Amino acid sequence: MSTDHEKSALAEPDLVGLAQQGELTAFEELVARHRDKIYARAYSMMRNEDEALDLSQDAWVKGWQRLKQFQGDSSFVTWMTRIVINLCLDQLRKQKRQRAESIEAMEEESGGVERHMPVIVANPTEGLERAELRARIDRALGQLSNEHRTVLVLHEFEELEYKEIARRMKCSIGTVMSRLFYARRRMASLLAGLKRENSE
Amino acid sequence: MKHDFEVKIQARLDGELSEQEARRMDEWIARDAEAGALAAELGRLKGVLSRNETAAAVPESREFYWSKIQREIQRMDRSVVAARGGWSWRRWAKPLAGLAALGCVLAIVRWETSPPAFDEISATGEGMEAITFHDQSAGMTVVWLQDSTPQVKKASDAPAAPISIPDPGESEVE
Repeated sequence: MSTDHEKSALAEPDLVGLAQQGELTAFEELVARHRDKIYARAYSMMRNEDEALDLSQDAWVKGWQRLKQFQGDSSFVTWMTRIVINLCLDQLRKQKRQRAESIEAMEEESGGVERHMPVIVANPTEGLERAELRARIDRALGQLSNEHRTVLVLHEFEELEYKEIARRMKCSIGTVMSRLFYARRRMASLLAGLKRENSE
Repeated sequence: MKHDFEVKIQARLDGELSEQEARRMDEWIARDAEAGALAAELGRLKGVLSRNETAAAVPESREFYWSKIQREIQRMDRSVVAARGGWSWRRWAKPLAGLAALGCVLAIVRWETSPPAFDEISATGEGMEAITFHDQSAGMTVVWLQDSTPQVKKASDAPAAPISIPDPGESEVE
């Protein structure tokens, strides 16, 4: 058995192979390498630190259980990201079921105020430092509804196609297109609003 | 602008349209100022978002974060082992239960087919009744033959006398 130090020097496919044979220290090294990315994806979807921590850790446990199913068709971290996304979607569905049917929820589907928003002509992110831009995007994402944020994260950050998003979110492609459109319009509006706030 | 057109502009930017549809949309976006402005807004946002995801980091130490995962994995492994132990016991329980059931069936069949310690058979024919008694322990069989013709039938020789014929099925062993 190799030491922890030797494990950290191993290439990812070797670590995955060892973990598939039941070596927990190899799996620990994989967790150490990718824990931030898996946590970040959970956080971008849930916008809650505790939930993101729990779901990302659950994802790693599930990953260990299903490790023998990993065939290497995608990278290990992509495979793990899919697991955490599915757990987050399940959690969001549970929360939605618990949430009472509200005007806000109905407006999410029909576009609400985004439907009547004028097109933002000027670039609201122009001239911003990268860190500032990221912070603004993060704040704006936090103001979106769960449905709008999820579809945006899956499309823009995970680069999933409409069909795949619809399959994962268990809705029609039309709903995905609509949600994505209103999510983008709201983001554009929020970023423009944030720029106005900062310049005042 | 209709919502259908809005989402088509978006689908064009996302590369979700066929080549022919994409060409048609490009022509329309070039002609229509409103469509062009919307396409520009969506395109800008797409470009900005895809390159600027915030990189959140786990707010816990490596050891602490891993310890919860490790505990859960070990708990799951223990329950799997326990389930396997239970399974091996159950693997034997099923055939044993099957054998026991088969034993019961055989015992019942044997009990039903084996001749009893003694038996009595009654057969009724027209005008005659035979009763067979078999005592296996004594190795003895006794057969009674008796005339079952009702007495009234014999009396029927006398003309005009009323005849009462009992139901043969109601013959009884005496």
